[in-house]
Amino acid sequence: MTAYDPCAHCEEVMQQYMDRVLTDAERAEAEAHLDECAYCRKRYRFEETLRVFVRQAVAAEPIPVELRQKLLALRTPLE
Amino acid sequence: MSETTREPDARKLATDARDRVRFEEDALALSDQVYRVARHLVGSREEAEDLMQETYARAFRSWRSFQPGTNLRAWLLRILTNLNIDRGRRQQRSPDMQPLEEGDYFLYNKLEAATDGPTDEEQVVERLSQNDVVAALSEVPHDFRDVVVLVDIGDFTYADAAQILDIPIGTVMSRLHRGRRILKQAMAEAAVGDEAA
Repeated sequence: MTAYDPCAHCEEVMQQYMDRVLTDAERAEAEAHLDECAYCRKRYRFEETLRVFVRQAVAAEPIPVELRQKLLALRTPLE
Repeated sequence: MSETTREPDARKLATDARDRVRFEEDALALSDQVYRVARHLVGSREEAEDLMQETYARAFRSWRSFQPGTNLRAWLLRILTNLNIDRGRRQQRSPDMQPLEEGDYFLYNKLEAATDGPTDEEQVVERLSQNDVVAALSEVPHDFRDVVVLVDIGDFTYADAAQILDIPIGTVMSRLHRGRRILKQAMAEAAVGDEAA
């Protein structure tokens, strides 16, 4: 039998923790571990920063003006 | 036809026209957000633009099938992903064909190892460039990328993503899990690989 590794478990549930889909008990367990473990806490903060960075990096390209004009032209003409 | 019959018809037409204009305005107001997701669901900007036009043309034709009060952005993206599949633009790949990816801490560990001296998480993230992220995302296979783009960039819930892609919620969760890891692996290669070159 493999010994329970709390850091491996924390790594496994990290994304769901950030997605806020864990049960209350799972969430409390993850938070208790993050409170006491600097190794996982550092990685958790990185994951949070990374998500924002990824979102900003890919959202940087706005809808092209010409495309917006073409979409506007698709509207049903008023009678 | 008597005046009394024509009057309700005219009123109905006017209501219909007003609802349609309102729908079109609401849909157009979301075009920036829909494009942001579309841009990363397909390979190129041209494809994304074509797909956006087809999506809006279809949405405007079938506006009556939208249920007011439900999520219009999800409804538009459902049309968009269906059109994308119909057009054969996507090459479906079996998840079993994908290489094994590393764990969730992989990217941090890799970037930290390549950074000199004591670091905090923001300094570690700074090792990534915007181009690294965009290039890495385009390397994630479609099935996984769709889910990552909808949830992490489009900010959709698991349930919305499941509805848009017409797949079970459990599949959304497993693809998201693997997709994020594949993305991190690609970002690590882009960032640290650049350094080694």
